[in-house]
Amino acid sequence: MKVYQCDQCEYASVSNKYRCPSCGTGKLQEQDVSSRGTVYSYTDIHIAPAEFAHLTPYTVALIQLDESKAKVTARTNGNVEIGDVAELDHIEDGAYIYRKC
Amino acid sequence: MTNVYIEGIGMTKFGKFVDKSMKQLLVEASIEALEDAGNPKVDAVFVGNFMGGSIGNQEILGALVANELGLGYIPTAKVEGACASGGIALRQGIMGILSGEYDTVLIAGVEKMKHASTADVTQAINAAMDNDSNEKQAGLTFPGFFGVLANRYFYETDATKEHLAMIALKNRENALHNPLAQFQKPTTIAEIMEARIITSPLGLFDCSPTTDGAAALVITRKKGAIHIRSSAQSSGPTQMQDADDVLSLPAVRESGRLAYERAGVGPEDIDVVEIHDCFSMTEMLAIEELGFFNKREGWLAVEQGRTKATGDKPVNTSGGLLSRGHPIGATGVAQLYQLVQQLRGIAPNQVEHARLALAQNLGGTGSYSTVHILERL
Ligand SMILES: [Zn+2]
Repeated sequence: MKVYQCDQCEYASVSNKYRCPSCGTGKLQEQDVSSRGTVYSYTDIHIAPAEFAHLTPYTVALIQLDESKAKVTARTNGNVEIGDVAELDHIEDGAYIYRKC
Repeated sequence: MTNVYIEGIGMTKFGKFVDKSMKQLLVEASIEALEDAGNPKVDAVFVGNFMGGSIGNQEILGALVANELGLGYIPTAKVEGACASGGIALRQGIMGILSGEYDTVLIAGVEKMKHASTADVTQAINAAMDNDSNEKQAGLTFPGFFGVLANRYFYETDATKEHLAMIALKNRENALHNPLAQFQKPTTIAEIMEARIITSPLGLFDCSPTTDGAAALVITRKKGAIHIRSSAQSSGPTQMQDADDVLSLPAVRESGRLAYERAGVGPEDIDVVEIHDCFSMTEMLAIEELGFFNKREGWLAVEQGRTKATGDKPVNTSGGLLSRGHPIGATGVAQLYQLVQQLRGIAPNQVEHARLALAQNLGGTGSYSTVHILERL
């Protein structure tokens, strides 16, 4: 998984930015890290906008990556709880689909 | 400190008005505000609106107001900041007066949502997410964002779904006394707890409704009874995955900090509050971020009834977005409508001797926040 790590401070994100929003001076450097992480929180979505309605109910989780300070928002295939260990299963229409390990 | 005063207020009933156009709602609220202000000459108009284009096929709202009211060929603009459109429109008016360009400005906010299907409205609301992101593609929604926050809040504190239900119930009880509120049917904790789940743990009563409605204010540099002590605005992360602390809304915290600093007051001085409770969970976080209660202890204050109209820090005496209703672009203006009534001593759920009032308006998943602090002179 690609993450962007500040070269001046601890900040990291899964999306690139022109400059580090945390320290304001650092540049973000692309890094490859493991997709493995821990479920930080989640929600089960029962009512969704038209474009996702066919998937309901589905779970969206915020994953704290093991090898980076960055978190990633992912859809999971199946229910999860806070603290579950999960990893990337595949990428679908630009969405990260995670599964429990 | 600003040199700006609120001279007039107007608001339509909030609810479902399929037979009224967006223009009619705007004009109704604006005329009421102008009459309340004694029909002053207006130098500019700012209208807060979010989805008039996408689900109503109607733009040029500023010019429509000026034309329908016969205000002359004055400058006008529509302001978009998702659910903070109204608060930002007010702020633009204040900045216009502070710059010296205008003496008197009409601020209006409007939304018409009830004619569209839930799927279409949800889709249009999702325009306030970062569409070019893996997060949006994962299927995260606004209620989903606050559902994720709520589950983490429960994990880190002893709060439960019942504390969110207490917020929803309080706001419904306040709305029962507000004749302009959308929901005026009593409810119970049990009914709220058992309602259909939208995005776990949030159920139907934890989510603000779709609403038609408008609100308006006349602001002026001429000294009057209601002083806008300060106006502040901040931005925050546009994606949940970029939040440093998921249980923090930096835009709310920062706009609050700036507003207190500029007004020369602190959270302990505020007598009455209107907060952006788009979800019950949002109110929980905002009462902490604005410094009324310690971080991760808002649920205790809720449990103790401190945010009720009879508590020491009354929040959303209008019924809030949850029960007064949430016509998106009108919300930030409607908050001021309620607070001006509080300071005039004629509000539904009147807080005795209210002198300092605070309004906080949020847009997106914490993308925008405005805070205004008012004082009765
Ligand atoms: Zn940095």
